[in-house]
Amino acid sequence: MTGAEALPPFAEDIFVSKGKGVQLLGSRCPQCGRAFFPRTGICPDDGTATEALRLDGEASLYSFTVVRTKPPFALPAPYPVGYVDLPKHDLRVFMLLDPDRIDALEIGMPMRLASGEMGVDLKGRRCIRPYFTPADTKG
Amino acid sequence: MVHILGIGLTPFGRHVERTIDHIGGQAVRAALADAGVSAREIEGAFVANALGAMLLGDTTIGQTILSGLGLRGLPVVNVENACTSGSTALWLAWNAIRAGQMDVALVLGVEKMCVPSLGLIDSGRTAIDTQLGLVTPASFALRARRHMHEFGTTHAQMAAVVEKSRRHALMNPDAMFRRAETVEQVMAGPSVADPLTRSECCPIADGAAALVLVSDALARRHGADIRIESVVLRSGDYGNPADLVRWKTDEETAARAYEMAGRGPESIDIIECHDAFSIAEILHCEALGLCAPGEGGRLAASGETALGGRIPVNVSGGLLSRGHPVAATGVAQIVEIATHLRGQAGDRQVTGARTGLAQCMGGDLAGDTKSCTVAILSR
Ligand SMILES: [Zn+2]
Repeated sequence: MTGAEALPPFAEDIFVSKGKGVQLLGSRCPQCGRAFFPRTGICPDDGTATEALRLDGEASLYSFTVVRTKPPFALPAPYPVGYVDLPKHDLRVFMLLDPDRIDALEIGMPMRLASGEMGVDLKGRRCIRPYFTPADTKG
Repeated sequence: MVHILGIGLTPFGRHVERTIDHIGGQAVRAALADAGVSAREIEGAFVANALGAMLLGDTTIGQTILSGLGLRGLPVVNVENACTSGSTALWLAWNAIRAGQMDVALVLGVEKMCVPSLGLIDSGRTAIDTQLGLVTPASFALRARRHMHEFGTTHAQMAAVVEKSRRHALMNPDAMFRRAETVEQVMAGPSVADPLTRSECCPIADGAAALVLVSDALARRHGADIRIESVVLRSGDYGNPADLVRWKTDEETAARAYEMAGRGPESIDIIECHDAFSIAEILHCEALGLCAPGEGGRLAASGETALGGRIPVNVSGGLLSRGHPVAATGVAQIVEIATHLRGQAGDRQVTGARTGLAQCMGGDLAGDTKSCTVAILSR
């Protein structure tokens, strides 16, 4: 799941991927401090315009499942998904997990963000998707 | 006070050869006949359909169906609110009568889903979560896995929800799945999203359910004996971090319905809840206060929520076995409870049932539901 740098991201403004430096693109309300992912332009709590925020990659697995039905968007079969806690931002985010590490997944384990070619986008083009993988995954 | 005068239901299942007009019309005619009123006496209609625009390319289905039944020149409202479409139509009709806008209202929930174009239900194709692989079974599997982690809930306890559902459905001629299934068989089935197996996910279906609601004045004249004590409709809070095993939106909708009705879970005799997945019934039982938080798995396995137990849940077979024609479900739940309150539920009758509660939820956003309803009825 490396290389393929020429492929487009599955959607705009969700993540940036520069080699090993993968980050989720969130936003933060300067008024109340709340962080958001995906990015939102206006804080729904107080209407303040938010500031762009690159989310810190420190993460732990809150829950996970492995989807074994026919995958949408040509995702791998089967594919794991989960909710991951980002303690620095007090955020819990839904994300794809590493299809090559299904057997290693455990609630509470430390995770890190990665990205690679996975499935197709809304237009049916091969694309890059972000995913969390156990922190000890090599590469 | 608003009362239920008439109820109507079609059998749920795959009815590939029947059109949505036909299915909806059958439920309406049954409800009118049961109420003893003619089409001309209906003063307003609230018609729920969730998927017609997407699957059939049809909009304003309510007028299409009702015009063929002689319902003309009256307010007709089409309602889409995901799996709470039917219960939202009930909420609207209940409020229209309470506001004095009408004395006789029709509620119809109708869905035609068994068509070739239907894939897995998700939150909308363009949603980022959907593009990251979130399908509806996965969102409940994530709750299941977390529930097991925090409370020691077992897969066998979740499968017990399905075993009970199938047992109940054997007594319901309108249910889609009418065959027994053991806990072992449920657990041995193919996994959809771990740990949920195929039998732990409700089947899609075609079907319709209808109600005739009346005001106090009409209830006295016609002798209607079922009262609607409360109907509460609430959207999600979408807070982050979302707690996947303590469902605040579910709890708060129920709390408000109990408050309006002036009663608590201890005085409810029968419950229909939105068991779209095995774990969903466990979560809803906790939110409705039938057991302490985290105890829903043990409650399911104890037999207390089966017919003959302390508080029977989904005696109809629920979504898991009756089938889930999305917009019909919320209305069918009310039909089921009314049938028990009338003492007409046959082999599956909850003895002496005088109060009932129906809970529905639908849509998925930010780890919360988009819509939740709870209604309380009594006789
Ligand atoms: Zn704010």
